[in-house]
Amino acid sequence: MNVQFKPGATSPHVKTRSIICGTLVTTDLKRARRMQEGAFDMECVEPSEGLMYVREKGHRPGEAKFGKPYWVLEVREVADIEVPQEMLNHWGFEASSQAAVDDAYQKLSANKAGYGITRVQKPAFRNGSYALYCVDKDSNWWEVEYRTPDLVYAALREKGDQFAD
Amino acid sequence: MSTATPLIHNELFSHGTYECSEMAPTRRFLVDFLGLDIVRPLPEAQYMWKGGPWSVICVRVQDGEAKEQGTQNHFKLSVATDADVDAAHAAALAHKEEFGIKRVLDIETSDGHRAFRLLDLNNTWWEISTVSQAYFDGVFAKGDGRH
Repeated sequence: MNVQFKPGATSPHVKTRSIICGTLVTTDLKRARRMQEGAFDMECVEPSEGLMYVREKGHRPGEAKFGKPYWVLEVREVADIEVPQEMLNHWGFEASSQAAVDDAYQKLSANKAGYGITRVQKPAFRNGSYALYCVDKDSNWWEVEYRTPDLVYAALREKGDQFAD
Repeated sequence: MSTATPLIHNELFSHGTYECSEMAPTRRFLVDFLGLDIVRPLPEAQYMWKGGPWSVICVRVQDGEAKEQGTQNHFKLSVATDADVDAAHAAALAHKEEFGIKRVLDIETSDGHRAFRLLDLNNTWWEISTVSQAYFDGVFAKGDGRH
């Protein structure tokens, strides 16, 4: 049941245009890049020493997503991880099907050592999505999930609030 | 750029996560202060977004307070102008108590971007910045730097 719908504030204090970036750290930027490109199929660039930006592929001129909005992961190489991350602090990718999640589980499990992935959890249904979680040597958690059409993020936005305090 | 076949093909880099201790004051901060859009599809989670198909999932911690994150792990919000950064900074200082904001750092300029960071009611850092997608388009187009 759609109990209420609250669009964004009409006059917020911050005139945010987009959530443009999330940041994380690694103790080995080469390893992190190998994982992003080789395991997760992301595009990486290192504009300066110790800094890498990551985005989904397809946003270059002539590619399918060119001109469409995207966000970026900013990855910095550090000597120490100050705050180890946990499952509730993860980053997620959308898969095309439940079978694609199963396939990702098999491939990530078989190749995890080469990409600095320490653990891959078996896929499971949780809150309407079918997903696997894996964690890398820097304690960063990654999710690969499939959502049915009625539960993809765009559909949930359309439905509005389902719960209130 | 790697030419090897990647292990998985993802359709979308779809989400990140954010812990919160209480839903209502967190929502007020996210919507009324930060200007994000939000829905609550689950009792223990609300999904926020702005500017694209990706989301940040705000998950309520079941027991205790939200984990204290350092500045190494934070979110950046893009605003259009230097004046927007200045206004956001002034608002953060003026409305600290109202929104439970714990710290507001000074404004800095780096790589041509004006920005500041604040620590919110859930112990997560946010950066308000003039960095834009056009900037990142340029960075990716330029490719790896020499280092």
